[in-house]
Amino acid sequence: MVTELPWDEKTGTLRRDLAPGMMNPACKHALEAALQIKEKYSAHITVITMGPPAAKEVLYEALAMGADSTILICDKILAGSDTYATSWILAQAINKQCDKADLILCGAFTADSETAQVGPQLAERMNLPAAAYAEKIEVNGRTLRVRRIVDNFRETLEMKCPALVTVSMENYLPRYVGLGGLQSAFSENQIKVLDAAALGIAAADVQKEGSRTKVRRVFLRKTQKENEYFTGVAVNVVNEFLNKYERKISTVIGKSIEGKERTRGK
Amino acid sequence: MQFNPCMKHKLIRDSARHFAETELAPIAAEIDKNATFPTAVAEKMKKLNYFGLQAPKEFGGAALDSVSAAIVVEELSRVCAAVGLCVTVHNGVAVFPFLQFGNKKQNEKYLPKLASGEMIGAFSLTEANAGSDAGSVETTASKDGNDYVLNGTKIFVTNGGVCDLALIFALTNTDQKQLQSSVFIVESSYEGFLRGELEDLCGMRANPVSSLFFENCRVPEENILGKLGMGMKIGMTTLDNGRIGVAAQALGIAQGAFEAAVKYAKERQQFKKPIASLQTIQNYIADMATEQAAARLLLYRACELKDAGEPYSCEAAMAKLYCSTLASKTTSLAVQIHGGYGYSKEYDVERYFRDAKVTEIYEGTSEIQRMVIARAVLSKLTL
Repeated sequence: MVTELPWDEKTGTLRRDLAPGMMNPACKHALEAALQIKEKYSAHITVITMGPPAAKEVLYEALAMGADSTILICDKILAGSDTYATSWILAQAINKQCDKADLILCGAFTADSETAQVGPQLAERMNLPAAAYAEKIEVNGRTLRVRRIVDNFRETLEMKCPALVTVSMENYLPRYVGLGGLQSAFSENQIKVLDAAALGIAAADVQKEGSRTKVRRVFLRKTQKENEYFTGVAVNVVNEFLNKYERKISTVIGKSIEGKERTRGK
Repeated sequence: MQFNPCMKHKLIRDSARHFAETELAPIAAEIDKNATFPTAVAEKMKKLNYFGLQAPKEFGGAALDSVSAAIVVEELSRVCAAVGLCVTVHNGVAVFPFLQFGNKKQNEKYLPKLASGEMIGAFSLTEANAGSDAGSVETTASKDGNDYVLNGTKIFVTNGGVCDLALIFALTNTDQKQLQSSVFIVESSYEGFLRGELEDLCGMRANPVSSLFFENCRVPEENILGKLGMGMKIGMTTLDNGRIGVAAQALGIAQGAFEAAVKYAKERQQFKKPIASLQTIQNYIADMATEQAAARLLLYRACELKDAGEPYSCEAAMAKLYCSTLASKTTSLAVQIHGGYGYSKEYDVERYFRDAKVTEIYEGTSEIQRMVIARAVLSKLTL
């Protein structure tokens, strides 16, 4: 849960020294979806992430699972990017590095902030048709058929490639990482590290296209409900309860229970 | 000198842990109780290279470094020591001798099958009258044409009930003045290869430990591993490596028991507060954590020496001695912290407690490890 993570109160960012690094769970499902598509059609899977050098770890894991190539976008001037900035940076990277991509898959949301914004924002940036929270993706030629659950409704959408889909956690349970795959990922080391300059991003651009939001505080919303205890002799307790709540109960059940004969305990 | 895990070792640990917690944790207590080998999980492990940890890629192995292999065994044993045992014996003392002593033909024939797990391996030295004293083997192999004919009984064979291939130590020269043993690659399909009943053991119950009987079992001469008469050399070299595996296993058991104890100490309320707030319990936890950290460094040192091609016999013995002693101590304390519940089969620490003991016994008892270490120390010119 987001509030259980170690947040830095001052900066509103995650304290990476206390939170163990890992591939975002929904993104892992998205990668699994990509791998399953690749099992049916010839495909080249490029996995892209942005983060500090330690984020290479998730790319090695992606390679071990079966990704073909990976890119780490890593630059101090990009640190602390919000979803708006992140989607813009990712769009630059995709346009520069994989401009022929037929399908862009994203995790539907992150475990550490759950905004679910980056995928749809990226689609807007790249002017692509998109579907979020996909639980199933079918590919027929250039047509994608995507099933998704939103507000308890299941809907199926169709769109043409190139397109963007964000994958939820309902299906596409990620495969286990094989040990041989991990060894190969490290010995072959197919990770391309790109800084801002390599993506044609200057400090001035970060000012212009960079973060529009700032996390002020992360907190758990508390409910206002409180338990009330009535103690004493049963008949007194019941009377006390009804004196206090009979009007409210009447309103809720749409029928008056006031004025009924009952023994007053006084 | 590198003390922090690198990214690769962290990922290896995370991946093995995820697998163990997902696949083994739900069944570990049950397969221990019923003494059944988890065949279905083993099938999944085969696909993920758990049976080819250090075999080269060309034979279908994962080609892991020794620290990575130790981490995998730790993580499996942290959840289910019996499966950790199956994996470490297969890799450490059945596949490893091929890598060290196998010829091209033998490696091409057997390594792909071993590395993929199509064949599960076993290593049989121990007999009724030969264990620590490896020279007292009584199983014989007498030459007959192009074959050797094996006769004898091996006991306490780890993986015995499921192995498809066993490395058998047998006397090839019974002359009293020149006893000489050799190692034979024996497939379970060979005529005269017979399995005994599974042993009813204190711990590691999900591993099918059994006796193996050889009754006029014909083995082709080409199945002699290394050279004729190399038995003692192969045995000692293999046991050095096996000890790294058992140390890793013992450390994994200790880690599992330690985590269970810490979790319980935080939850269990006595005197209106968690017992973790009591100084006595804190002392236990502090000692367990410290000793585990030290044990891990000893173990990884032996691994690094091995990978660097340096002698590591003494270091492997130290790691094995220390980790197994620690496993017994930690699991005992974990039971103690759990109180009466720890003595119940409802809690995992009871199983860890039973599993830990044998790590002080097999692959060379603690007494034998001390002998190895003392010999190494005493033979040095400068200490």
